Amino acid sequence: MTTWLTLFGMALVTYATRVTTMLALRGEVASWLRRWLGFVPVAVFTALVVKPLLTHEGAAGPTLAIGPALPAGIVGALIAWCTGNVLATIVAGMAVFWALRWLRM
Amino acid sequence: MPLWLGAAPFGAIYAVSALGAGLTPAQTLAMSLLVFAGASQFTAAGLFAAGAAPLQIVLTTLVINARHALLAASLAPFVRGARPTTKALLAFQLTDESYAIGIQRFLEGKGSLAYQFGSNISMYLIWQCSTIAGMLLGALIPSPAAYGLDLVFPLTFIGLLVPLLRERVSAVVAALAAGLALAGALLLPGSWYLLLAGIVASAAGALITRNGRR
Repeated sequence: MTTWLTLFGMALVTYATRVTTMLALRGEVASWLRRWLGFVPVAVFTALVVKPLLTHEGAAGPTLAIGPALPAGIVGALIAWCTGNVLATIVAGMAVFWALRWLRM
Repeated sequence: MPLWLGAAPFGAIYAVSALGAGLTPAQTLAMSLLVFAGASQFTAAGLFAAGAAPLQIVLTTLVINARHALLAASLAPFVRGARPTTKALLAFQLTDESYAIGIQRFLEGKGSLAYQFGSNISMYLIWQCSTIAGMLLGALIPSPAAYGLDLVFPLTFIGLLVPLLRERVSAVVAALAAGLALAGALLLPGSWYLLLAGIVASAAGALITRNGRR
């Protein structure tokens, strides 16, 4: 039930972002706001990359930890830089991760 | 057309990760139908998996999707003549991709409300189909985490992020976001690290561009 309510909340705020300016705005958006929101994806994506690659979810909360995910992420980043292809990034990163895990066994 | 091919794998990857995060198939599809915003759906799936509080998930969604306000604002002058109900409908399916297609036409002077609707609806249908394809695929993988498939999340974001870093200010924003996210993840409860990095680092980017070059 909570999950459904969360989903409806997400839908509501997302629709609000789309419909408000569509209906209300006639002129230009303030340039500071445009620049601010323009950088949000970069900041959010980075945060979502850093946490799983550098921390480990322990019983007492997350701690700093380096595991096979980090080299996998670095190789993925190199592939992403060279190809710009998300699927190739995922495949390369998972290949490194599985190889490192297999070597440890 | 190429944008359909671009979006299709994401819908499937989203569905696999949402199911892996413990969402039911109905909830997984409902998110695609009702929210219809790729980056925020990925993020939400990750947050659901981490057991984040509902308020954090909704707020994070709001921050990630706030950029839609800009897309809608830039379309607004072109659809000024349309009825409010038409605009409200048009806004529901507005995404980065369909906006890009529609606004290009408008700027060339060949755009129309119908063209924007068509662009929106085709992206919407592709997104639902690829979500369903991912759900079928996800059903074949009973416990994704056992194979380390939760790593697909950060790898997806690496793929989206790294090409953006060619621009220097974006690289600075990313470095700042990385520091804030790491400190936040270690010191703050739940997923507040994401909002902290998302809001503060992007604001820094806006300040840098104002003080530096135009």
